[in-house]
Amino acid sequence: MPQIFEYNGSALIAMVGKNCFAIASDRRLGVQLQTIATDFQRIYKVHDRLFLGLSGLATDAQTLYQRLVFRHKLYQLREERDMKPETFASLVSAILYEKRFGPYFCQPVIAGLGDEDKPFICTMDSIGAKELAKDFVVAGTASESLYGACESMFRPDMEPEDLFETVSQALLSSVDRDCLSGWGGHVYVVTPTEVKERILKGRMD
Amino acid sequence: MTKQQANWSPYDNNGGSCVAIAGADYCVIAADTRMSSGYNILTREYSKICKLADKAVMASSGFQADVNALQKHLAARHLTYQHQHNKQMSCPAMAQLLSNTLYYKRFFPYYAFNVLGGLDSEGKGCVFTYDAVGSYERVGYSSQGSGSTLIIPFLDNQLKSPSPLLLPAQDAVTPLSESEAVDLVKTVFASATERDIYTGDKLEIVVLNAGGIHREYMELRKD
Amino acid sequence: MKLDTSGLESTAPLFGSLSSGIHDEISAAPSFALPNTINFDGFQKEAIQMVKPAKGTTTLAFIFKEGVMVAADSRASMGGYISSQSVKKIIEINPYMLGTMAGGAADCQFWHRNLGIKCRLHELANKRRISVTGASKLLANILYSYRGMGLSVGTMIAGWDETGPGLYYVDSEGGRLKGTRFSVGSGSPYAYGVLDNGYRYDMSIEEAAELARRSIYHATFRDGASGGVASVYYVGPDGWKKLSGDDVGELHYHYYPVMPSTVEQEMVEVTGA
Repeated sequence: MPQIFEYNGSALIAMVGKNCFAIASDRRLGVQLQTIATDFQRIYKVHDRLFLGLSGLATDAQTLYQRLVFRHKLYQLREERDMKPETFASLVSAILYEKRFGPYFCQPVIAGLGDEDKPFICTMDSIGAKELAKDFVVAGTASESLYGACESMFRPDMEPEDLFETVSQALLSSVDRDCLSGWGGHVYVVTPTEVKERILKGRMD
Repeated sequence: MTKQQANWSPYDNNGGSCVAIAGADYCVIAADTRMSSGYNILTREYSKICKLADKAVMASSGFQADVNALQKHLAARHLTYQHQHNKQMSCPAMAQLLSNTLYYKRFFPYYAFNVLGGLDSEGKGCVFTYDAVGSYERVGYSSQGSGSTLIIPFLDNQLKSPSPLLLPAQDAVTPLSESEAVDLVKTVFASATERDIYTGDKLEIVVLNAGGIHREYMELRKD
Repeated sequence: MKLDTSGLESTAPLFGSLSSGIHDEISAAPSFALPNTINFDGFQKEAIQMVKPAKGTTTLAFIFKEGVMVAADSRASMGGYISSQSVKKIIEINPYMLGTMAGGAADCQFWHRNLGIKCRLHELANKRRISVTGASKLLANILYSYRGMGLSVGTMIAGWDETGPGLYYVDSEGGRLKGTRFSVGSGSPYAYGVLDNGYRYDMSIEEAAELARRSIYHATFRDGASGGVASVYYVGPDGWKKLSGDDVGELHYHYYPVMPSTVEQEMVEVTGA
């Protein structure tokens, strides 16, 4: 990954369970090796059943998020309903591609519940090439470690509590092998009826 | 000899992953058998594991030409050691020798990432892990090579052996039984093979214990 | 280029003719293999980039009333990846002397091992232990002879000799400084902040150990390349002793306990308002 993606450091993961999904991130905001904040929000709620995580350069992530919220609000006003995850993914992709030759230095992770409570997760590169997955997606400076951990820990059709445990273990063991992410974790487990948000205690080094 | 030109680059990376786990009375050393260069697979049956002494086995990834030269050098040093001392080198002694051998090439490194596994004088499992220029450390488990970044977090999660630096000191070997360790190795390689293109084809597992050395194989994905 | 390999001599085989020619490579006095290239610097640069030696550290040492306190973290990182959380960065040269490790792990490990040999030989030749001044100069001279070849060492030599406590900073650029308070590595600015603020010469051993531990902890918190275990050593008239080794992952919650409630504020019915 180019240097600029690693400027702030991040770790992001989304995983599918049985009629539910989890999305989790670390809590560090750094400037290269210097830790600036340990309560940084990298996951944003678009609506009750749709979440967006933005890894990469934090300033671009915040700008991009604000543009996406703006577009989503316009959609809500015109259509009088929330966006489906698939639609939102296409919107993110299109907005990213607008900046094809001067991209936002972000890798988004989108997770949501679609029609009939079917979980949807996807990630894309900084210029909007969508990558849908059935099991899990990861992003950020700890992505390689996350791939290894998720690949070993993932099981299909997990119940929400099980899914929370798996995602948390994968996140914490991965960020403990990455200098630029960690300092605690933030996990959302989303089921058709509720959103559970939890803060994870992690190593603070 | 004529001097090499400025753009001279004598290295290649042949990929591959190695794992070693030490237990109370055994040591498991494993590596895949794929050898690649760029996007090409050169062979699917190349052993990365080398027996250096009766109780010391080394697995190496990186540049296999350098690895080969290193193995030959160590074999020669071990032969002279046997002539001089009339015994096999112990694993900790071999560990120190490997460190010095790598460091003597500090300015023209062996492009080799090694893990050395074996049994110490008390018959306890030991794993030594290295960087390319010879810094080394005794640990409970280790992974090196192209898939190590995928493997290590999972091993950390499953094994979490106490740090040898803690005071009061605690034993750093893993609490697993031999068969559990072999199963764990198979799991991590199956996972690493999914995401790392340089790891795959076949897994070679070497187990050292009081009974000697055993070797076993497991098929991995070939794509 | 002529290198000073005298530092390696003591590890040569004790017997056997050294230049019989047949097995030259394996039994001759060891020396450093050099690449046969016109562009040594370029080659070094490329080679270093490929092998990515472990880097990133916080180490500190200071002299106080009772002796010298030495402390370090235990993380080794290659780029953003943490290659080890259990590196022994405080190297025990002999029972009265410690060296710390910052920069290239292999360079520090090897040359401290080498220094240990030389100190022992000095002891055998002169029937007394080497001074900290002498030992640090031995190391500085070796490192100076390799100047410009890419060694990366930032070390403190701490010990107790006939003159009392001694502390030197030595690096691979050839620097050698005597002092009472040093910190080396990427986390050193953070460690200095805590250390300078809390330092007094007349501390007790317990106070000094706590200051050292706290300094390392704060450095690991802010510096991404530092972490793992905070080890604290004390060198006194009877030699060094390891005082503590604490996992900073646990140390954080020891210094800053987390209250179990996640609810920040609850609405309460106010009676008779």
